[in-house]
Amino acid sequence: MKFFIGQVMPYITVTIFLLGLLWRVWRWTGALRIHNIALSPFARNWVDTIGIILAQILFFWNPWKFDRPLWVGAWPMHAALVGVLGGHAVGIYFMGTQFTYIGLSVAASKQASVLLGQLVGIVFLVALLYLLYRRIAIEKVRAVSAPSDYLHLILLLAIVVVGDLMRFLPSAELEYEEARHYLAGLFTFHPVPIPDNWYFIIHFLLVQILMIIFPFSKLVHPLGMLWERWIVNRPYQDTPLGLPGVRLTLGGPAGETTASKGV
Amino acid sequence: MAAEKKLKAPKKATEAELRAIHIKPVPDEEKPQVALELLRRYKDEWRSLVMAMETCVKCGLCAENCHSYLGTRDPYNIPAKRADLMRKVWKRYFTPQGRLFGWLVGAEDITLETLEMWYSYFYQCSECRRCGHVCPFGIDTCEVTMAGRRILHQLGMVPKLHATTGAAMLKSGNHMALTPAGIQDTLEFLSDEIEEENGFRIEFPVDKPDSDILYVPSSADFMLNPETLKGAARFFHYIGANWTITTRMTEAGNFGYLFDQALVQKELVNRLFQEAVRLNVKKIVWGECGHGWRAIKMYYNTMADLPHRIPITHILDEAAEYVKRGLLKLDKSKNPEPTTLHDPCNYVRACGLAENLRVLIKAACADFREMEPNREKNFCCGGGSGILFDDPDMYELRIKFSLKKAEQIRATGAKVLCAPCSICKAQFHPMIEEHHLGVELYGLIDLVGRALVWD
Repeated sequence: MKFFIGQVMPYITVTIFLLGLLWRVWRWTGALRIHNIALSPFARNWVDTIGIILAQILFFWNPWKFDRPLWVGAWPMHAALVGVLGGHAVGIYFMGTQFTYIGLSVAASKQASVLLGQLVGIVFLVALLYLLYRRIAIEKVRAVSAPSDYLHLILLLAIVVVGDLMRFLPSAELEYEEARHYLAGLFTFHPVPIPDNWYFIIHFLLVQILMIIFPFSKLVHPLGMLWERWIVNRPYQDTPLGLPGVRLTLGGPAGETTASKGV
Repeated sequence: MAAEKKLKAPKKATEAELRAIHIKPVPDEEKPQVALELLRRYKDEWRSLVMAMETCVKCGLCAENCHSYLGTRDPYNIPAKRADLMRKVWKRYFTPQGRLFGWLVGAEDITLETLEMWYSYFYQCSECRRCGHVCPFGIDTCEVTMAGRRILHQLGMVPKLHATTGAAMLKSGNHMALTPAGIQDTLEFLSDEIEEENGFRIEFPVDKPDSDILYVPSSADFMLNPETLKGAARFFHYIGANWTITTRMTEAGNFGYLFDQALVQKELVNRLFQEAVRLNVKKIVWGECGHGWRAIKMYYNTMADLPHRIPITHILDEAAEYVKRGLLKLDKSKNPEPTTLHDPCNYVRACGLAENLRVLIKAACADFREMEPNREKNFCCGGGSGILFDDPDMYELRIKFSLKKAEQIRATGAKVLCAPCSICKAQFHPMIEEHHLGVELYGLIDLVGRALVWD
């Protein structure tokens, strides 16, 4: 079973993840009829559009303005997610020495790496618990929830709990070197046996399950958001003003034609 | 059916009324299948619907930002749950997770009961897009209710109000079945009124060829809101316009947009362009109607079979430009009462009119007071998308839908409510009484017209 989870399944998982995402996005893009349904705020040009979308992605602007209790859980959760994913990539690749690039010693860098990992790991856990509590306890959120909405949160919580245990319990910890060696084997298509650490094996398995269901769930919302906002936030040019044949034109009284004023 | 008795829904059109809009109802036992076929076709074509179905994460933010939920506290009036009435069917038949896992992922089979729920709740949505404005992803729930209404229409499930209005549109080119003679008469009468009030006469040109401007008023102006017509006439007269109204298409609104988005909606678009060419106009200027302005602004190029090059603008945008350049002499003391502005949803969330409304109202009124929230954050009057039903159940709901709005108005202490949209006016006339608001109701060009200073 360790062989399957460690050396076979990852390839199946990534294939399903990538092809699944492509297929999902293909279905969206294949729907070609798009009416010009611009929605406030109105972008006058593509810079405006990018600004609107960035404000939503970076600051969760709408939850901040229109449902602060949601923002309190959602933004820290996603920020911690970015921290966790980035931390995995950078921490494992550089084996904890990434902060030597900003002048820390190797030992200090490794300490910082551990500390940051612990910090985002806790924030992530607390935020997820808050969101789960919200979904159970607040009527309007409970009313719109299907069983899978709870299950997604529980799966994420399981992944984070195991990950946090690995970060906080010395007995559960996995050395960067071992993780790096194992992952390098996968990336270079020369898989090696999965490290003999049950926390890691469970963590890794749960993450793969998440990746398999990802393309077939609401987890694609980062992409969905872009596709949706490309419709409603696209720049819209208004028809020029200026009434033809009037005595009092926009340029002033009588005499001028308004042909040049956008008729 | 037991479920039907509990559901609040508008009275349905009869077979004869459906025939008048060229619909042959589908037998009950075939409805779910036909609905599914139509939904499948929309899935392949209509991207805004696809994204609404696929992107929602059920965060619940939309709930307390929707006047419909706030007024009724019915969970199905939460936009995400309203959309779920369609999404659960979408998931069941069009997604692998829905086919495999059913109820676990919120997927459900389609039945006649599903369609009755659609009918009830898609006509409790006023298609105001406040949910779209607040959604983190910009999901426009009214794309769902519009798709739903289109499907229901083809099944033969249409409110009596919408079907009869649609029939009037096909026959007379306006919602109120106004005839050319009726139009002429009303406008004569209004010219008389203007003469009494202003001391000089302003004629309303009707079907005048070689006009430069075609003005398209809301037909409801003729029956309910004549001050809006008078305001427009005063504005055009002030700037010395060569304008006309056409009796073939006297409708700034478009109820077809609100239920069929096909034959009925196209009827007015086709008439509009035929008349614009026949009368040889250079520009079309739209009157005070929210959904109608949105419908023509966003859809006319795709609705008409040929691209049309006659530009179309809104009278309030044009008038605001005159005010900005200091070209309209206005006397605020002609509108002395404390006045508040209701931002019509379609103007502010779909058509970018918020600032121009303020340019006009501040120039025309002595004591303007904002309501809170305002502009694109404003709440719907509760009557949007033509859900102005009079049957007792639905009328009760209208009172609930306008609850949030009533609170906003009361808080301003205003004596005059300015609502520059025809459906809003139709909603406010009775709702002002129901909520005991004690305000007078005007459009915006009305107030501008009254404030104009004539040399």
